[in-house]
Amino acid sequence: MKKLIALYVPAATLIGYIFLFAPLLVLVIYAFNAGRSTVVWEGFSLAWFAEALRDRGLRAGLQVSVIVAIASAALATMIGTSAALAVVKRPFAGKNLFSTLIIAPLVLPEIVLAVGLLVATVWTGVPLGYGTLIAGHVLVSIPFSFLIVRAAASGLDPRLDEAAADLGANGKQAFLRVTLPLLAPAILSAFLLCAVISFDNFVVSTFVSGVGSTPLPIQIYATLKSGLTPKINALGAMLIAVNVLVILVVMSRYLKTIRKQS
Amino acid sequence: MIAARRGNLVTLALLAPSLLSAILLLVIPILIVIAFSFAEQDTYGGAKFGFTLASYRELFQAIYLPIFLNSLQLAAVSTIVCLLVGYPIAYFIALRAGRHAGLLLALLLIPFWIDFIVRMSAWMVLLGRNGTINSALLGLGFIEQPIRMIGTYPAVLVGMLYAFLPTTVLPIHAALNGLDKRLLEAADDLGATPLQSFWRVTFPLSLPGVMAAILFVFVPAMGVYAIPVLLGGGKSIILGNLIVQLFLDFRNMPLGAAVSVVLLVISSGIIVCYMRVLRSVEEART
Repeated sequence: MKKLIALYVPAATLIGYIFLFAPLLVLVIYAFNAGRSTVVWEGFSLAWFAEALRDRGLRAGLQVSVIVAIASAALATMIGTSAALAVVKRPFAGKNLFSTLIIAPLVLPEIVLAVGLLVATVWTGVPLGYGTLIAGHVLVSIPFSFLIVRAAASGLDPRLDEAAADLGANGKQAFLRVTLPLLAPAILSAFLLCAVISFDNFVVSTFVSGVGSTPLPIQIYATLKSGLTPKINALGAMLIAVNVLVILVVMSRYLKTIRKQS
Repeated sequence: MIAARRGNLVTLALLAPSLLSAILLLVIPILIVIAFSFAEQDTYGGAKFGFTLASYRELFQAIYLPIFLNSLQLAAVSTIVCLLVGYPIAYFIALRAGRHAGLLLALLLIPFWIDFIVRMSAWMVLLGRNGTINSALLGLGFIEQPIRMIGTYPAVLVGMLYAFLPTTVLPIHAALNGLDKRLLEAADDLGATPLQSFWRVTFPLSLPGVMAAILFVFVPAMGVYAIPVLLGGGKSIILGNLIVQLFLDFRNMPLGAAVSVVLLVISSGIIVCYMRVLRSVEEART
């Protein structure tokens, strides 16, 4: 009995990790299969990758997603960074309420946010398209950029500002030459994560993308509903590669800062 | 004096973008949703402003009750499954993994950042009628007919677990990681069996993390919609599907807005309860 309990925790962890990675592994491996099967290996081939890249709908979706991801991540990072700097560096009334408001989109059900955006466009007559997509993705990304930059900014030594002032720097100079360079890695991480969030977003996109501005996940969804082909495996493998690359970049920065601090 | 005013201006300039976006993209839209839920439906499925409770009356009729119950049940069962699988993982990473803890946490985050739709298609490849699992079982002779997996409730639960497992593990891990290990040694010294020290020391101290995990799984699970459509065949209607149908297919905006308001009220209620409980726990500790 005792042994059983002692075994339970590592066994559950092992099974949990297999559960997390096996589907992705199967997806990626069979993207390289020459045949249509997802079990029988019929030889190595890149044909499905070529097929996925030739698909017009998917290509159009990819273009929309890249544009929207870059634009919304840039905006969300700027907005989140300025909010984080205000919260960490400036005294003002209602700070807790302000932080709650900024983080709210993270906690509320995303579908309610999406409905709100759609209804607002209906009410104001704003046409659905790139603008509404970018606005929606900015809304769901801001909490992440805010939290990342706030964590980094509150870790900065406040004496740095004093030292800059003692050396004759004014507020602007101290910010541009001391604070901003120190926060640059966090801001870059925030940008990358916001871009990934936008690129992956599904729920908000369902509601606020218009004709001609359908992002990739919605295109994939439409393809999935009409049946599965290894084309989707190939596309999935490419997206996984891009996502893993971004995570590695972000994490290696974090690991470096953690190592420096310890 | 001038410096103070300039300082205020800087603060205002820093706050303006986020305040503006929060008001324009969050506060006003939600107010419009609330207004729409009291509006009348016009002939084109849009909303004609006014004040009527017609949408709410329609919503609380018997046909919509099962949808609420389905959603609550799916969210509750998903949360329980996530906790049962996620807790031991968090426990292992925090208390047993030693120097591999960082690596295990990083691995946990990878699926979390991979496209949601790609993760779901991975499961469709595995569970499909001609999918990997069926073909493998057929090939090995364990079954003679493919088992129907896509379109069943367990398939939906697998998808929910897959989507929310990292969100479950992270807060529990954070709580267990902050645990003073000397408490466990003390329990051991006092003659507690490992199981006793778990139930009387470790588990109670990890409760704030468990509560955060419940919040992070239950609330989004109430509004989920793509997972049941892709893996469950969209057969049992839940709030998420209902909202999408009312807005994008049937174009009944007032009713869709009313469903959204109810969902918003339920989730805000849960969040407020969570914050209350958290505060009382913190007060009890100090």
